[in-house]
Amino acid sequence: MRGSWINLLRPLGLTLLILVLFEVLSTAFFPMIGFTKYRLPFNILIILYLGFKIENPFLAILIFILQYAHSFFSIEGWEMGTIAGVLICIVISYLKDLLHLSSSIMTILVTQMFQLLWFVIISTILYIKTDDLSYILEKFWRFLPESIVISLLAPILFVVLDAIWQSEQRSGLGDSV
Amino acid sequence: MRLVEDRDRRKRVVINIVVLLAAFICVAKRSSTLHQTSTFENLLIDSFAPLQNSVNTIRSNISNFFTHYVANISASKENGEIRKKIDDLESRIFNLNELEKENLRLKNLLEFGKGVGYKKVLAQVVAWDASSDFRVLRINKGLKDGVLLQAPVVTSVGLVGYIYRLTDHFADILTVLDNNNRVDGLIQRVRAHGIVEGYSNEKSLMKYVSRTEPIILGDVVITSGLGNIYPKGIRVGNVTKIERESYGITQYVEITPAVDFGLLEEVVILLAEGDEQKRREREALDQMEESDDASAKLKRAKR
Repeated sequence: MRGSWINLLRPLGLTLLILVLFEVLSTAFFPMIGFTKYRLPFNILIILYLGFKIENPFLAILIFILQYAHSFFSIEGWEMGTIAGVLICIVISYLKDLLHLSSSIMTILVTQMFQLLWFVIISTILYIKTDDLSYILEKFWRFLPESIVISLLAPILFVVLDAIWQSEQRSGLGDSV
Repeated sequence: MRLVEDRDRRKRVVINIVVLLAAFICVAKRSSTLHQTSTFENLLIDSFAPLQNSVNTIRSNISNFFTHYVANISASKENGEIRKKIDDLESRIFNLNELEKENLRLKNLLEFGKGVGYKKVLAQVVAWDASSDFRVLRINKGLKDGVLLQAPVVTSVGLVGYIYRLTDHFADILTVLDNNNRVDGLIQRVRAHGIVEGYSNEKSLMKYVSRTEPIILGDVVITSGLGNIYPKGIRVGNVTKIERESYGITQYVEITPAVDFGLLEEVVILLAEGDEQKRREREALDQMEESDDASAKLKRAKR
């Protein structure tokens, strides 16, 4: 999706609405039914989608807005996720010709791969800040199941986001069918 | 066409650099122990939190219907009340024991504890943090209910944490399971000091406990009162793992918190009378800073 900032407002609003809905589910509903140990990071999935499918110079600002909305539900804040999101989108822009989201399996695999990169970036920042490796190891064991569930959900959510961002004509990372 | 693409690319690079720089600066400045919300954040958190609260209300209504009416009309309700009473009595016995020991040790300090009254605010847990990296709970009481930043939060069985982020109607508690929360703790039996730090979803670590301290499994850990956040004598948990190496000056002590965070529904926020005084002092200091800034600007303008 190319174009001006104005054209992004409607899909951005709808995406924020979806993010808020998922955050409420993740923070209030799932813990209430017993899932207190794991939390599904839907913000990562939405940001990865934007990185895969949206070509726009304002992508970094979109990531910032989504992470800022996420920060109302987590004391994590917007900063670390924004750094990871922007860096990953830069990496994706260089790999566009290599990666294709042509099938559900590929979408799951590519999403899982970039979630791993997200984990590496966040862990590096955390390590610089805390100088504690055991915490990162403990975080990794939580990251594994959370990221697998998110990757499995990716094909479904990407269809919904395709409809919102009207990018269904693109089969993969920027290549037209 | 190429010119437009180049312009887009340049714009993208500039925006990426600006956003990344801002994020790096903010992540470096961010405090992991306290967060003051802006008016905008306050407004948005207060708008989203009722959604979380409504999920809680719907769930508890459905759950109440099944447990109290469909499954068992009255027995489970009575059982819940009896359990609550037992928890209260156990807590009272624990407090009395602690007071007795304290009296023996501090016979001469008759003034001890005098005038430190705590106001209690009851709150309901409405949500958990969106990231599993943080063990933070959101409650349905805020500034308008008299809650203050860094106020200790407890239940009848022990310590929960302290208020980390606060809006008008909601507050976030940094629990003792979070590794950003550090509590000055005391092993009740041997009076050995250490710092209790969050470790995982079920465990905390007690750091800096001297290797020579004769700690045993099951020892009770209480707050020491140092650190200016938690009052003395609140139960933190029990020692569940000890590792003493043949070298080093400290020992590895693992604690299981007294509070079962998986089942936590209601909490009590303790508000000391001194907190209100502290708040007024902070406000007065802020006002002084603002007036200093204003007078400095005026001087500059005159020059």
